[in-house]
Amino acid sequence: MPDNKLKIGIFELTGCAGDALLIVDCEEELINIFKAANIEAFLMAKSDNDDEIELDAALVEGSVSTEKDLRELIEIRKRSKVLVAIGICAGLGGIQANLSNDDVWAKNLKAVYGKMEFTHSKPLPSKPVGDFVKVDYCLPGCPIGKDQFLSTFARLLAGNPPELFRFPVCMECKWHENDCLLNKNVICMGPLTAAGCGAVCVNHNLPCVGCWGPSEEANRTAEYRLLLEKGYDPVVIKNKMANFSGTRIFEFFAGFKGDKK
Amino acid sequence: MKKITIEHIARVEGNGGITATIDGNIVTDVKFTVNEGPRLVERLVLGKTPEEDVNLVPRICAICTLSHKYAAIRAMERALNINVGPKVRLLRELMHLGEMVESHALHVFYLALPDYVGFPNAIAMASKFPFEVKIALEMKQFGNHIMKTASGRYIHGENPVIGGFGRFPGRDELIWIKNRAVQFMPFVLKTVKLFAELPYPDVPESETLYACCNPPDNKYGIVGDEIILSTGETIDVQDYERLTNEFVVSHSFCKRSQYKDRPYSVGALARVNCLGKRLEGEAGKMYKKYFNARWTKNPLFNNAAQALELAYSFERIPEVIEETLPRPDEPIIPYGQTDGKGAGAVEAPRGTLFHAYEVTGGLVSHADIITPTAQNAEDIERYCYITAQKLLESGQEEKIKDRMDLVIRSFDPCISCSVHAVRIRKAPEEDWKMKIAKMKIDFSPLIVGFGSAGHSDDGAGLELARRLRGREFKDVWIEDESPEGTAEWEMDEHRPLLIVDAVDFGERPGKITMMPLQHAAWNAALSHRLLPLVTRRISFDQLKNSYILGIQPATLEDGEQLSEPVLLAIEQILDRLKN
Repeated sequence: MPDNKLKIGIFELTGCAGDALLIVDCEEELINIFKAANIEAFLMAKSDNDDEIELDAALVEGSVSTEKDLRELIEIRKRSKVLVAIGICAGLGGIQANLSNDDVWAKNLKAVYGKMEFTHSKPLPSKPVGDFVKVDYCLPGCPIGKDQFLSTFARLLAGNPPELFRFPVCMECKWHENDCLLNKNVICMGPLTAAGCGAVCVNHNLPCVGCWGPSEEANRTAEYRLLLEKGYDPVVIKNKMANFSGTRIFEFFAGFKGDKK
Repeated sequence: MKKITIEHIARVEGNGGITATIDGNIVTDVKFTVNEGPRLVERLVLGKTPEEDVNLVPRICAICTLSHKYAAIRAMERALNINVGPKVRLLRELMHLGEMVESHALHVFYLALPDYVGFPNAIAMASKFPFEVKIALEMKQFGNHIMKTASGRYIHGENPVIGGFGRFPGRDELIWIKNRAVQFMPFVLKTVKLFAELPYPDVPESETLYACCNPPDNKYGIVGDEIILSTGETIDVQDYERLTNEFVVSHSFCKRSQYKDRPYSVGALARVNCLGKRLEGEAGKMYKKYFNARWTKNPLFNNAAQALELAYSFERIPEVIEETLPRPDEPIIPYGQTDGKGAGAVEAPRGTLFHAYEVTGGLVSHADIITPTAQNAEDIERYCYITAQKLLESGQEEKIKDRMDLVIRSFDPCISCSVHAVRIRKAPEEDWKMKIAKMKIDFSPLIVGFGSAGHSDDGAGLELARRLRGREFKDVWIEDESPEGTAEWEMDEHRPLLIVDAVDFGERPGKITMMPLQHAAWNAALSHRLLPLVTRRISFDQLKNSYILGIQPATLEDGEQLSEPVLLAIEQILDRLKN
């Protein structure tokens, strides 16, 4: 039946499937999502998936971690007008991108799988989707947030770009009237992390772990020095900054002068 | 030859596929492939603090996020000698039950049921089953609500930490959950009836070993410091490697497990098989009503077991909340210990999940994570093989693809965990030549000529072995099955075997087919004569990499002469082995 609904595909590369699952978790809205657009491909939710149809928008989760991921990604990009990277695996490479430096990766792959030569698909160091194809928009989060996803989905249907938060978690944290954990000498990643989660960890009296990935204008050097002053170990601080920052953190550490006084 | 491939198994979590290769009348190969790229999480956490580990590891899998967090916390608390109080334990149980409800409701209604009622997905199914789809959605939503209340978020909540919780949910929130759970009960019992009475086909059926956590106090449950097997044996979680024995295969990024050289299954069906007798209340009544021998050998009953566990969970949730309410909040237990070693296990919805760590100087120095799908991978392949072979034998080839899809999905595989799909492939012409070449590179196999002299073509294996010896081939054994025949074996050999034998596959005379020896047990043409050999003489390690090279005989009547096509086949094989 021909209709003028947009054709949308949701795809999973290598990751925890959390972003696709979050879409399935939009329980009340899920049926409306399926009604408002033609969901042509969504492996987690349906088995009659169309692998060839031209798409108005492709939502891609997960990092590129095998040659198969890469082939699929290139093919998805070719038949999609708009490509949205959803979650920090697609956007930044995910937690696994921490080991994506070639030598480090090869050493660790060997440590886990031994000398095994894989016959089904060649593994690759985990990289963000944007390293291989043009990405129109990125939704941050590990996983993405329901509110942000639904608003982005609705805006895409109307032909508008998503509206993302350009400030760090600290803003949301203040809106919740939490006490600043840094003032209590707790190692908190709030100032460096993109907002959108609603400062959920600090609302639970726990420090931000940084899972929404880096905030655009974060001052990492200042946070680093502050935490040093508070007596934290440099390695621990750097790890904490790197955990959810994907490949983005490599650029930062390459030009890092925080250790110099 | 042809191949049946399900490239992406739809409606499972993650990215995997399965391929069955069919050569004429037999299935020569079944491979369960995990395409989800390797993320090396066990390496990623090295050098990190125990707290960071607990933040990072749930990202292995979104659907078992809290199981990963819980298992990691249990391992870390064991390593660092932290003993949490009763309220923390109860709230952890509540979050874990929330995950069980969410995962089982999603799996039975949305992922499994459409297959049995003939719809491509749950949304389409809503047209015929609007009530079921709606309530199932509410049930799943309820599980999510519990997870969010206890952990802070639907997915990857950070509220559970080493030593306790960041914040305890309020009294009103808990009472709401308790009342809501009670309201679901009538529908939950209907769910058990629906799934216990589904017309599960009897292919595949095969005995297996089941394993799960043994909860304390002889109760049903989903955590424990001990593993219990369907044989009754128990293993301390600290010695988990005795159960799991992980190894790597080349066609998958998912590691594998075996216990005492046997594949085993974990998950809801394993729990019901090992612990079902301990179920109480309505779940106990349902167990007594529906459990029967088919549940012990047919993986498709996992869906029924999941439904039964929904009943257990909905009965247990109000009890947990009753016990929680009068207790005061407990602060996070601080710890000073910087070194230690420990393992923790929990029952994730799809099976036993192990985390084990060593902490040195306050940082993680060793990590080992063994997921349920990794433990199930061997049995998934085995049951798919049985499915394909049995359907092929009964002339239902067209059903293989869908049935394999059903089998694999019944295991509720969480593939992102193990590091989507079924394919049926026609084997290429002379597939055996490539296989021999590969086997010669990977191992140097021992060749065993198998047969019975004096029965014309049944002597094919013996003839080949003799000719090989004539060409000064050393690694050749002969097993003559005739009354006056002899068997020459060196029992200390552990190399893989290449068994050459006349096998009646119902093909054209002289056709050569090569298939893994471990599949012989489920192939009617092979099982009667090779099974004694497989079970008694060789180790499972040997069996896994061993092959059988079958030559289709023209005749097996009394006589010394081999037929022309068989002699030609022998020449071809000799040629191949020589090069």
